Amino acid sequence: MTATVDWAPVLDADPLLQITQDLFATMIDDEPGYVSHWEGERPELEDARHTWVDVADEQIVRVVIGTGRETGEAITRALLRMAPGEEVTDEDFVDAVGEVANVVCGNVKSLVTHPGTLTIPVVADAPPPLGDGERLVDACLSWRGAPLTVSLWVLP
Amino acid sequence: MKALVIDDSRVMRRIVGTILKDVGFEVVEAGDGQEALMRLEQHPDVRLCCIDWNMPVMNGYEFIVAARAKPEYRDITLMMITTEGEQDQIVRALAAGAHEYVIKPFTADVIIDKLDYLGLLDQEVSV
Repeated sequence: MTATVDWAPVLDADPLLQITQDLFATMIDDEPGYVSHWEGERPELEDARHTWVDVADEQIVRVVIGTGRETGEAITRALLRMAPGEEVTDEDFVDAVGEVANVVCGNVKSLVTHPGTLTIPVVADAPPPLGDGERLVDACLSWRGAPLTVSLWVLP
Repeated sequence: MKALVIDDSRVMRRIVGTILKDVGFEVVEAGDGQEALMRLEQHPDVRLCCIDWNMPVMNGYEFIVAARAKPEYRDITLMMITTEGEQDQIVRALAAGAHEYVIKPFTADVIIDKLDYLGLLDQEVSV
């Protein structure tokens, strides 16, 4: 790991939970209380979508967010103030969940004062390539009862 | 009053644009700094730019530098709205000519408070 980055502020799941809670409370739910640690056995994501943003420098820091498609659509509707049941286009979906990952990664970057730059979000059906990366944190959260995973990786 | 929202994320343009429209702004949009410079030429009556930092082609910091280099844009208020929350990034943006800095995530009230502080709200919607 680079000497310039102090990872201590993000070495457990609580900071990722806090960042996610702040994001959802301000921009998605308009009030706090809907994001918490997942209680019980970690569930499989149904029709999973993976979104990631990197902080690019000598080493890459990658924040990966996993949701089911249906949960991602609910996030999109809430973020865009769409009507319940209103169709979510792929463009809306990619833009909305990408912005969620962007905000989480940007706040992680601030916590560790990483000198790199944020990349443009990527959204895919498959998890990102992580190679020999080291997983620093892997949090399974609950948003309104639906699973939402947030993990933090350092890639060589 | 006209505002230019500069962000590569359509979602963020929509969110910020809606907040601005709700307090009486007419809104035009650009997806990066270079497009924003073109929009300013097309809309010389823009009085506020809300600018993301991380964008392809030309980022928000580069846009601020470019806009501040043009005397005809000296009356435009520049407000960064970005996930880049580190102190040195904020200082860098303000030193380059940004007037205000908002870190994502934000509420509509945060944006409106900044606009009020900057004197950009009409009296009837001022908080």
